[in-house]
Amino acid sequence: MNGMVQVPRRTVLVCCGTGCLANNSMEIYKKLKDKAAELESGFPVIPVLKATGCNGLCERGPIVQVLPDDIFYCKVSVSDVDEIFERTILKGDVIERLLYLDASSGKRVRSFKESEFYKKQFKIALRNIGQIDPSCIDDYIERGGYEALKKALFEMSPEQVISEIERSGLRGRGGAGFPTGYKWRQCSKTNDFPKYVVCNGDEGDPGAFMDRSIMEGDPHSVIEGMIIGAYAVGAEKGFIYIRDEYSLAVRNVSKAIEDAYIRGYLGRDIIGSGFSLDIEVVRGGGAFVCGESTALMASIEGRVGEPRVKYIRSTEKGLWGKPTVLNNVETWANVPVIITRGVEWFSSIGTEKSKGTKVFSLVGKVKNTGLIEVPMGMTLREIIFGIGGGIAGSGKFKAVQTGGPSGGCIPEALLDLPVDFDSLSDAGSMMGSGGMIVMDDRTCMVEVARYYLKFLSEESCGKCTPCREGIRRMLEVLEDICAGEGREEDIELLLELSETVKEASLCGLGKTAPNPVLTTIKYFESEYLAHIKEKRCPAGVCKKLTSYRINADLCRGCGLCAKRCPAGAISGKQGKIYEIDQGICTVCGTCREVCRFGAVEVAGRATE
Amino acid sequence: MKVIIDDKEFEAEYGEYILDVARRNGIHIPTLCHSDAVPGQGSCRLCIVEVYERGKNKVVVSCLYPITGEIKVYTNSEKIHRMRRNIIRLLAARAPGSEYIKKLKEEYGIPEETRFKVDEKEKCVLCGLCVKACEKLGSMAISTVNRGATKKVAPPFEEPPVDCIGCTSCAHVCPTGAIEVREYEGKRVIWNRTFELLKCTSCGRYFITREQYEYMKNRHGIDMKELLCDRCRQKSTAEKLVSLYKKLLVKKTLFQCYRLQKD
Repeated sequence: MNGMVQVPRRTVLVCCGTGCLANNSMEIYKKLKDKAAELESGFPVIPVLKATGCNGLCERGPIVQVLPDDIFYCKVSVSDVDEIFERTILKGDVIERLLYLDASSGKRVRSFKESEFYKKQFKIALRNIGQIDPSCIDDYIERGGYEALKKALFEMSPEQVISEIERSGLRGRGGAGFPTGYKWRQCSKTNDFPKYVVCNGDEGDPGAFMDRSIMEGDPHSVIEGMIIGAYAVGAEKGFIYIRDEYSLAVRNVSKAIEDAYIRGYLGRDIIGSGFSLDIEVVRGGGAFVCGESTALMASIEGRVGEPRVKYIRSTEKGLWGKPTVLNNVETWANVPVIITRGVEWFSSIGTEKSKGTKVFSLVGKVKNTGLIEVPMGMTLREIIFGIGGGIAGSGKFKAVQTGGPSGGCIPEALLDLPVDFDSLSDAGSMMGSGGMIVMDDRTCMVEVARYYLKFLSEESCGKCTPCREGIRRMLEVLEDICAGEGREEDIELLLELSETVKEASLCGLGKTAPNPVLTTIKYFESEYLAHIKEKRCPAGVCKKLTSYRINADLCRGCGLCAKRCPAGAISGKQGKIYEIDQGICTVCGTCREVCRFGAVEVAGRATE
Repeated sequence: MKVIIDDKEFEAEYGEYILDVARRNGIHIPTLCHSDAVPGQGSCRLCIVEVYERGKNKVVVSCLYPITGEIKVYTNSEKIHRMRRNIIRLLAARAPGSEYIKKLKEEYGIPEETRFKVDEKEKCVLCGLCVKACEKLGSMAISTVNRGATKKVAPPFEEPPVDCIGCTSCAHVCPTGAIEVREYEGKRVIWNRTFELLKCTSCGRYFITREQYEYMKNRHGIDMKELLCDRCRQKSTAEKLVSLYKKLLVKKTLFQCYRLQKD
């Protein structure tokens, strides 16, 4: 005992992920920091402030956590800062109104870990995010960071590292689910030098932000994974390819690399082991196709980002024709944990053929949108209705789109499908990098297919005929169907073109591009038929095939629809039944949104 | 090693491409983006075939699939035929102006396009051969620009290309005749740039651009002492050979006479 009284510390974690930043969390952080700095010494508590990466619950941001009290505040605004500081940080009181509100139970929850959103999650890749300051290497080290690297470098041979990863059953998280250990083994067997390791951070799916959050919130876990991988295969140079729109990710990863060099985890003779590795960041121009491994490598080499045929794998001839291991951000982030905690632990999580966990960005018409990590094999129902809290608003669940733009739409009947690589592809969709978009009954499935094909036709690199021309023509057909110009034989034509695009395209983009069309035809064919034959859009989305009518039995004559109608198409008297003039109506859907009695109904194309 | 193509057995070198083996043995597989001068495109996908390897079957492009094990290849199975027809239909809808595509369309019995919007004048199928050829010759004057449905081949900023030497290799290698070259009164126009042509010193025909001549001299150190067109150079080379042969013949005869004398 040295007689000193230890002053208690209170750690305040302010989420500064991209979602919370957009909601002004930086102001909150700065104001809290200023207040902490003004605090006179001798105060009974020392507040320690940290700006962290994304907590996942973006829908309720900005988020502030106070430790060790384990208090979790949602939707914090700058005006709440004074109160949080005075009451919670200095005194440890809980401010009830800022606590997380469970969507299903309607109760407020003090700790994040008790919330429905968090409870069923299992964090491996996201283990540190939200808990550490990503720009501070000591935060990472404090939570066991770089221990796996030490273990690999000093206690294991490269061969042992590879066999550990092989036995763990880790599969690539970028989409295809290729066994990581096998990939590493192939590369290590190839007797050609230099070898490279590459991290694919070119996440480009609309509505997906898994890799972004990892790079922003815990960049060292990716770097550590890459160093271990490089040691295993014998590479001396690594690249982290990040799309340039992810400016915060570029900044945090660059800072992390710099710090890793300073501490001797990168560069020559890493922590005295004799092994050397250099890593640099390459910024991508934002083409979706550059997420394809060979196009990504072409882009790093400074060539046009177009894929090449992969009859000879990148593990033999990759970057500059040399053996290359390319893995996704999330895959790399999994590696250190497998090395530290061991194969038995990792392979006990998940299903028989898909081990570990998967990060998803759960978005769309769901109550708790955000970033989640769940064990493989959890059902879609558990994810959407458990973690996601169910459908937002008054709508009903209709479909969930997984796997990004070239994934597929899964209907309600398959909600009990366990989520892993194989069952999703059996259903016609795919795991992809982990996008998960929930749709309700006001979504038109033909329009969804059209939307994704539009995206893909713009993002196809345009090198090979089936992808460039095939997608474009399929889009043409879908646009016609949505505009009421569809022909009877169109479904047949779409299926035939799909086969050619799927089978004959050069790279993964084309090979998976027909999935949105194929799955919507498979599970929602009646909607296509309604568009083509009856000239009506059942969901009331395709404007040219939709008109709104007021159901006289349901209308209470409140007049809200007429008040809100931007076109002035609704007429009537309070207390009487209202009517829509089809000649003036622009089919914007406002009346349907505002009607509290469900009296505005969707009908087919207006006949006038 | 052995390879079975369309149920017949053939010899192949390890790593040889299916297309090369098939062609050597008289099996026809249609191609568009394949050129022996600039191989390795794999973009038109016309040459797709079905491969059975280790119990699995897959669709691959024969121009780039290396034979490394025991495989069975079907160049025109029902599935391949159906998909190839679709590819030709897509190509024809894109570039109906090309004669080559018209011929393919006829060969595969594809009806006139009535479903898709068609640009009658378009000839380019974006196979990329022109860009590859230009790159290989070292000028790199043209490139593909944009991506997806708006992709096209163009010089930088679609202005007359500064780096172009007017060699017309791009137009020569183009399978669909999509690159226009005009020549008149000692001028050549390609990619909207006009080049001055130089005459053959022997026959007086215009045959090379000044930029081509300079390029060969400065980049490759080939200094043509006299500017001869292909035809005249062949002629002059042949003449030189004949005179050389004659001289040798005289020498040989004299030598034989000398030996006879000695004996």
